[in-house]
Amino acid sequence: MSTSSLRSFEYLESLPGTVFKRLYRQPSTALAIFRRMLPHLAKSFVMALLYHSHPLPVADLEQWVRPDSRRERDQALSLLERLHILSIVLNPNSPRAYALTNPFKQSLRLALTGGGDHQSFGVPCDTPDKHSVDVDFLDDFARAQWEGILHYMVGSTGIGMQGGEEVSQGVKKLLELGGLVEIKGRRVEITQAGFSFLLQEINAQVWTLLIFYLENAESVSDMRRFRTLDPFRSQANISVCQLNMDPVDVLSFLFMLGSLELGQDYSLTTLTPTQVKMLDDLRDFGIVYQRKSSSRRFYPTRLATTLTSDAGALRTVSAGFDNALRAGGDSKGFIVIETNYRIYAYTSSPLQIAVLALFSRLSTRYPNMVAGRISRESIRRAIQTGITSDQIISYLGTHAHPQMRKNVPVLPPTVVDQIRLWQIEGERMKATGGFLFKDFVTAEEYDNLANYADEVGVLVWRSDKRRMFFVTRHEQIAAYLRNRPKKLT
Amino acid sequence: MASKRKATQGAVKASRMSRISTPGSVTPRRIESDYSHGPSGLPDQRNTIIAQNVQKLDISSFPYMLSPGIIDSASEYFQPGQKRDLTALKLKPDHHNRPLWIDGWGKLTLENFHPLAPRVQDFLTTIAEPTSRPAFLHEYRLTTHSLYAAVSVGLNPKDIIRTLKLFLKNEMPPNVIAYITHCGKSYGKVKIVLKSNKYFVETADPAVLQMLLKDPEIGPCRVQNAEEITTSVSTMAGLAIAGTKDAADMRVAERVEDQVERNSRVEEVYYAALGEDDDEDDVQDALHAFQIEDEKVGTVAQRCLALLYPALQEYDFRNDYINANLEIDLRPATQIRPYQEQGLSKMFGNGRAKSGIIVLPCGAGKTLVGVTAACTIKKGVVVLATSNMSAIQWKNEFVKWSSINPDNIAIFSSDCKSLFTGNSGIIITTYSMATNSRERAHESANMIKFLQSREWGLMLLDEVHVVPAEMFRSVIGTIKSHAKLGLTATLLREDDKIEDLNFLIGPKLYEANWMELSQQGHIATVQCAEVWCPMSTEFYEEYMKANARNRSLFCVMNPSKFQACQYLINYHENRGDKIIVFSDSVYALEAYARKLMRPYLYGGTGNAERQEILDLFRNSQHCNTLFLSKIGDTSLDLPEATCLIQISSQYGSRRQEAQRLGRILRAKRRSEEGFNAFFYSLVSKDTVEMVFSSRRQAFLADQGYAFKVITHFKNIEKTPDLAFATPEARHELLQKVIAELESKSWKQEEERESAALLADGNLFYGPDGKPSRTAVSGAGDRSAKKIVKRKSGPHSDFFRSLRRENERRKKLA
Repeated sequence: MSTSSLRSFEYLESLPGTVFKRLYRQPSTALAIFRRMLPHLAKSFVMALLYHSHPLPVADLEQWVRPDSRRERDQALSLLERLHILSIVLNPNSPRAYALTNPFKQSLRLALTGGGDHQSFGVPCDTPDKHSVDVDFLDDFARAQWEGILHYMVGSTGIGMQGGEEVSQGVKKLLELGGLVEIKGRRVEITQAGFSFLLQEINAQVWTLLIFYLENAESVSDMRRFRTLDPFRSQANISVCQLNMDPVDVLSFLFMLGSLELGQDYSLTTLTPTQVKMLDDLRDFGIVYQRKSSSRRFYPTRLATTLTSDAGALRTVSAGFDNALRAGGDSKGFIVIETNYRIYAYTSSPLQIAVLALFSRLSTRYPNMVAGRISRESIRRAIQTGITSDQIISYLGTHAHPQMRKNVPVLPPTVVDQIRLWQIEGERMKATGGFLFKDFVTAEEYDNLANYADEVGVLVWRSDKRRMFFVTRHEQIAAYLRNRPKKLT
Repeated sequence: MASKRKATQGAVKASRMSRISTPGSVTPRRIESDYSHGPSGLPDQRNTIIAQNVQKLDISSFPYMLSPGIIDSASEYFQPGQKRDLTALKLKPDHHNRPLWIDGWGKLTLENFHPLAPRVQDFLTTIAEPTSRPAFLHEYRLTTHSLYAAVSVGLNPKDIIRTLKLFLKNEMPPNVIAYITHCGKSYGKVKIVLKSNKYFVETADPAVLQMLLKDPEIGPCRVQNAEEITTSVSTMAGLAIAGTKDAADMRVAERVEDQVERNSRVEEVYYAALGEDDDEDDVQDALHAFQIEDEKVGTVAQRCLALLYPALQEYDFRNDYINANLEIDLRPATQIRPYQEQGLSKMFGNGRAKSGIIVLPCGAGKTLVGVTAACTIKKGVVVLATSNMSAIQWKNEFVKWSSINPDNIAIFSSDCKSLFTGNSGIIITTYSMATNSRERAHESANMIKFLQSREWGLMLLDEVHVVPAEMFRSVIGTIKSHAKLGLTATLLREDDKIEDLNFLIGPKLYEANWMELSQQGHIATVQCAEVWCPMSTEFYEEYMKANARNRSLFCVMNPSKFQACQYLINYHENRGDKIIVFSDSVYALEAYARKLMRPYLYGGTGNAERQEILDLFRNSQHCNTLFLSKIGDTSLDLPEATCLIQISSQYGSRRQEAQRLGRILRAKRRSEEGFNAFFYSLVSKDTVEMVFSSRRQAFLADQGYAFKVITHFKNIEKTPDLAFATPEARHELLQKVIAELESKSWKQEEERESAALLADGNLFYGPDGKPSRTAVSGAGDRSAKKIVKRKSGPHSDFFRSLRRENERRKKLA
C-alpha cells in the first residue's frame, strides 16, 4: 500500500461517523474511496455485497476466504468497518451478518449505473472557452507550480528562474504548519519530515499536502486575504478570522476532482461556496487551472485527475508525470555513487540538483550531469537539518543508475555503512529524564539537599559552583524537604 | 672520447656547486657546465626565464572563460571558484553514443560502462593522468606532463583534439583546445639524439629546423662541414623488446603481434575519425637533423627550452657502437605480462629508448620491467635502489630473470662494495650511497669515481616518488646515462617535486590500472577494512591529557584494539592465512608480539635473528603471524603473506598505506580460485587516527579499493584467552603505558629503529623516523595539497621563483 493512501487513511479514520455519512452521499466520493482506498479483497467484498438484498451471515462471508488468508480477510473487514462502509447487523433471531452501510451503498450503485441529479462528477461547461488550453499546457502549469513548491522546500530561491513559480504565502504557511520546513530567520530549512516528503512519489506528495490543507484549511485560505499585507500581521490574525470551511465539502471536492477528465473544462455552478474558495488554493498547488479567480470555469490538471486512480493506474500515470517533472532525465535512475564517495547524477533538473546538494558537495555541472562527492561534512550537515542517513541511502537506492542496478546490492555496501556511521557518530548523547534543582539561597541548603539526593541514589549531576543538581526522581527529596525540622522559621 | 670525459667531469663539479634545478628532459649536467663559468647572478635570472616558460605551458594560463549556458535555480550551487559550471559546453545530439565529458580545466570523465570505454581508456592513459578509477565513472586529467608524454610517444596535438572530440559528449572548451595546441607546438618537436657518439638535433618539422638553425645561440653550435641529414623515421619494426623476441616462446611473440595489432587498432580509432589523407603524415615521417658540438649540448638544450621547444632525449642504442655491449638476455622461461609489455612498448616505441617513468602497483612486477629494459638496451646499467635490502633483491632478480653472469653485477651499498670485472656490467647502488657527499672512505670514493667516470646505457630509478628532488638532481647530474627509467607504484601528483621528476627523468610513459590487474589475477584481490576500536573512558581521558606525540601511544595501546588484533589473528590463522601485523610504534610492536607470543622484527633486530625469523615465517606451519615495524613497509618480500593488520601507522601517509598493501598484492596464492587477501587497518575511535585513516585511504580509494568499516566483531568475547578482558587488566595496562611514557625508554627503541632505517639507506623515512619530506603524496584533491604545503620544506630555487612569478601575476590580474 502506498504511503499516500496510508496518509489519507489516517486522516479519514479520524473523522466521526456522521462525517462519513455526509461524505458518502456523493457518488463520486463513494467511488473514489472504493477505487483508491481499498485493497483488492475489500473491493471483492464490497462488490459481492453491493446488490445483496439481505445481510450476509458472517460465517458465510468467512467461507469465501481460504483459511490460510485469514489475516488478509480480517484486515480487509476491519478496514471496511473503520471506513464505515460495512457494518454488522445484529438481529436477535438470526446470526451476525454483514451489510453495506446505506449512503455508501446507494451512492456507489449510482456511481456505477449512472443517473440521479447529484452532479458529483462535475459539470462540464456547455460553452466553448475563448481561452481554451490543452493538456500540455496543463501539464506544464502543474509541473511549474509543484516544482515551485518543492524548490521552496529545498531552499532554492526560485525567483525569476525557469522551472519554478513563486510560491504563495498560503502554501508557505501550509508547509510550515505541516512541519515540512522550518523558517529560521529569513532562511527556509527543510525538516526530516520534509525530506521524507521529497522522497515520496508525486501522488503521495499531493495527498500529504492536501491532508495538511484539510487540517489547516482555515488558516491557509485566510493567508490569501492578507497576502499583500505584512506576513507577520496576517499570522497574528488567523485565530481571529475563523472561516467556516466544512471538511466534508473539502473532501467531497477532492474526491470529485479525481473523477474529472483531463483537458475538459468544468463549470463552477454546482460548487459550494467553500469549494469555490478552495479553487484559489488548489490553483497554487497546481491541482486545478483557472485563468483568473473570477473565471466561471476551471480545468483539473493531471495532479487532480490522478488523485483517486487505483494503485495500478496511478503508478504509470505518476511515473509519466514524474518524467515530466524530471525534464528529460532518466526516470529509472540517474545517480551513480562510487566507492571513493564520488557522486555523479545524470540530471539537469534544478530540483534534483537541489536535493542532491542537501547531502553532497557538488562541484561540476555539465548540461546533462552533475558531479560531486559525499563526505563526512556533507552528510553531517544534512543530518543536522534532520534528514536521516536511511533517507539518504533510500534516496540513492531509489534513484540509482541502471548500471548500478546490475550490482547486488545496488549501492556499494561500504558507502552505505559509512553514511550510517557518520550519523551514528553524532548520536552518542544519552538522555536521562529528571529534575533540576537550582536557585538555592544558601550554600548550606544546597549542600544539604544535594548530599541527601546522593545518599538516596537519585543524583545524576551536580555543580557546586552554580548550586545546581539534577536528579532522576524528586519524590523522596520533596518528602525530605517537607519533613525536615523547621529550624528558625 | 677522452675530451668528452673531461667535459663531463667538469659538469660533475659544477652540479655540486650549484643547486639550480634544471627542468627539461635534457641532460642537466651539460647545461650547468656551461653556466658554471658564467657570472654568479645569472642562475636566478635563468630560473625566472624557465619559470615563465614553464608557466606558459600550464593550463592555468588558459583560463576557462565561458559563462553558464543554463541559468536556473541550481546555478547557485556552481558559482565560480572551486565549483565548475560547464553548461555552456553544449551536448552533441548523439551524446549517448559517446562516453566522455570534458571540463574547462582539462578534467575528463569517462563512462567506464560504455561500449567504447576500453578503447577510450587506452587513449586516455596515453594523453592524461588517471585520477580516479573506481567502478563506473573514471576521471582523468590533462596536464602539461601527460601531454608531454603523449607527444613524446608520437601523437600530435591535432590528433589528440580530434580524437577527443570524437569521444566527447559535450563540446570541447576553446581554452583546452588552445592549451593542447600550445603544448603540442612546443613538446616533442625537438630531440637531441646521441648517435654513433655524435649529438644531433632532430626534428620532423622543417620550419622548426630552420628556426633553430637561424637562432643566434643555436646556430653557432652546429658542427661545420656536417651536412644536414634527412632520414626517414625508424620504426619499431626492427626492434623487439627483450623477452618478446624469444623465438622459443611463440606465445610471447604472438602476444607482441596482438599488442601491435591492438595499438594499431587504437590508432585506427583515432585516425579513422580524421578522415584525412596520410600525405601530411608522410611529410612528417621525414626527419631533419644536424649535428652539434658535444660541449654545446647544454647550451642548445637550454635555448630550446627558452624557445618553448623543450628537447626530448632519446637513446638510439642500436647505433651506439662506442659503449660496450652487455651480455644479457631474458631467460627463455621468463615471460613478461601484457601490461609490462605495454609499458615497455611505450618506452621503445620508435626503436629508440625514451626516458620516462612507468607506474605499476606494488607486486605487479616493476623489477621485471627494469630487467627487461636492461635486456633490450644491452649496455651498462646503473640501478638506484631505496635501501641496502632492496639492492640485494635487485641483484637476485637480475640473476633470476636474465642470463647475466652474476660476476657482472656489482653492488655498492653501505654494507657491500663489489666491482664487476668485464668492460660492461650492472651496478646496483642506493640513492644515499650515490649522493652521500660526506667524507668517504677510500673504497667508497673509488666506487663513486667508477660510477661517475662511465657512460651508462640505462639508469633504473626504483621508487622514484620517495627520493627528494635534490638527491635526484645530484644523481642524475653526476652519473651519466643515455636513458633513464623511473619505476614507482604511487606517483605523486600535483606536487612540486613531481614537476622535477618529469623534467629530470622524463614523462610518465605508462600507468597501470590496479583494479584491472587485480581482475586479471596479476595482483591479488584484496578486501580492505577499517576496524573501529572504541576507547574506554579511562584511556580516553589520558589520551586527551597527553601531548600530540604521546597520544599515538594511547591510540595503539588501546585495549580494545589489542583485542581486535588478537581476534583477527586468531580468525585468520584458523583460516590458514599468513599474517603480517604492522606497527610504527616499536613499543607497541614489542608489547603486542610478546603478549600474543608471536615473533617480531624491527630496526634493532640483529641480522642473523632477522633472517631466522623470516625463514620461519616463510617455511614453518607453526609460525603464521609476524609483527613488523616500518622496516617491513617496503623492502621485505614475503609472498606467503595473505593478511595484513595495521595497528599503528604514519599519520596521513597514503604512500605508506599503498606500500603496505603492496606486501600482500604479490601473495603466492593470488591465482587460486576465489582467493582474497585481507587488509585491516585498526583505528582507535574518536582519535586523530580516524582523521588520518581516511586520508591514508584516499589514494587506494581512487584506485577503486573499497574500505569496509567494521565497528564490532561478533563473538569477540569468546576468543580464547582474550587479553585485557577484565577492568583490572585494562587498568594495569593503562598504568604501564603511562609509566612507559614517563620513563621515555621507548624513545630509545624508536631511535634504534631510526638508526637502522638510516643504516639501511631507507629513503622512505627521514632521520627522525618520520616519513621523508616527499612522502606525503597529493592525488589531486585540495585537502591533500594542503598537507603537502604544510609538511614540505622549502622548495627548490626554481619552484620558488615559479611561485613568486605566479603570485606576482595574480596580483596584477
